[in-house]
Amino acid sequence: MLRLFKNKIFILVSVTVVTLVVIGLSSIQNSKINLVGDVFSTVLSPFQRFINYSDKKINDFFAHFEDIDKLRKENEELRQTVTKLVYENEKLIDLKIKNEELRKALDIKDQYSTMDMIGANIIAKDMGNWFDIFIIDRGAKDGISNNYPIVTSNGLVGRVMQTDVFTSKVISIIDEDSSISARLSRTSDIVVVKGDRKLKEQGLCIMNYIPADADISAGDRVETSGVGGIYPKGILIGKVKEVRQRTNELDRYAIIEPAVDFKRLEEVFILKEKKIYDDETSEENK
Amino acid sequence: MKIRVIAYSILIFLTALIQSTIADSIKIYGVKPNIIIVVTVIVALLRNETEGAVIGFLCGLMQDAVSGRVIGFYALLGLYLGLIIGKSNKKLNKENVLISIFFTFISTIIYESIVYFFATVLRAPLDFVHSMKNIILIEAIYNSVISILVFIIVSRMNKRFEEYEKNSRRY
Repeated sequence: MLRLFKNKIFILVSVTVVTLVVIGLSSIQNSKINLVGDVFSTVLSPFQRFINYSDKKINDFFAHFEDIDKLRKENEELRQTVTKLVYENEKLIDLKIKNEELRKALDIKDQYSTMDMIGANIIAKDMGNWFDIFIIDRGAKDGISNNYPIVTSNGLVGRVMQTDVFTSKVISIIDEDSSISARLSRTSDIVVVKGDRKLKEQGLCIMNYIPADADISAGDRVETSGVGGIYPKGILIGKVKEVRQRTNELDRYAIIEPAVDFKRLEEVFILKEKKIYDDETSEENK
Repeated sequence: MKIRVIAYSILIFLTALIQSTIADSIKIYGVKPNIIIVVTVIVALLRNETEGAVIGFLCGLMQDAVSGRVIGFYALLGLYLGLIIGKSNKKLNKENVLISIFFTFISTIIYESIVYFFATVLRAPLDFVHSMKNIILIEAIYNSVISILVFIIVSRMNKRFEEYEKNSRRY
């Protein structure tokens, strides 16, 4: 028996079998076996956070010298735009008040207002070249769980794929495993936005299942449709960059330019539903 | 032996750390190197198949923990990579950098092709030629370059251990 345990082939076969079982078990969502990964990522995460932080600081330091000239020019331009925007802002506030009044009258429940926004930093990226997963520094201890949508101020980034204690894995919308039910803002047609391996390198994604009668052209806004239950309705995904045809006229697909720049992503927000016993929201919803 | 375990733990830890953070900012043509493959290949070449397999397994496990979809896929891949490379090193001149470069190049191509296969097996088949040209080949070249650096580090580490072990045996 002892000789059996010293046999290398026996060890190899048993390790292989155990690992295969673990692969099978961990592919089930929320299975306990993922705690194994939890241990490693928890140990790594403070170091990843540190490297990420110092990387940013060093970059900032060097950028400081290059930017002085640019900043002067930009400052002038910005001053001009500020005056323009202040004027526009006043107009918009006026419209906002009117809008709120009308909304109340119509009793439309704003899906965004029932969400809490939690800020998070990206601390690590996918190790391989095939997928587009990244790690954020918020985890189960902050109340994050699977399938929470991730956004920035510009638009949709992705969703939480798996949570550990201090960190979570996020799958971005340009990953080929991601698929979102979307809506063309102008015509309200429901389409599907997916990640694509070839387009991913340029930070783009693809739009499939375009209805044959849909009037779609470059520059159209695409937003989440709210169908499917993961993403709330009305988050901006991006713009249509190009419409192409496959084999015949009915079989069309479009290339989408996401509103978020995935190459320069550093900080994101997690959308978390507010708890039901929250007084303010329950009053608002009445 | 004890000191070897500690040094290997640090090596694995640093590899996973660098791969998950800094590797993203040293992309060439949108492709980042895979230091995990390089470290596994070089340890397996310089030492033996057991150490190669253990390093490959643990490095892969780290990758699974940080950015994998399932636990164990990269670990298993690393295990067999280290094992196969380690098996083939007996007749080779271990101190030659060119051999490690060559092995890194070949292993990267095979390793990434396997990852590609499993990543797409349940989906619509994308064209392999495109992935080969745009990701795998560039990564293989990049890895080969990095393998020179890793070779120097690991072989120095190795020499230290051998001296240390010789000394401790003497007394």
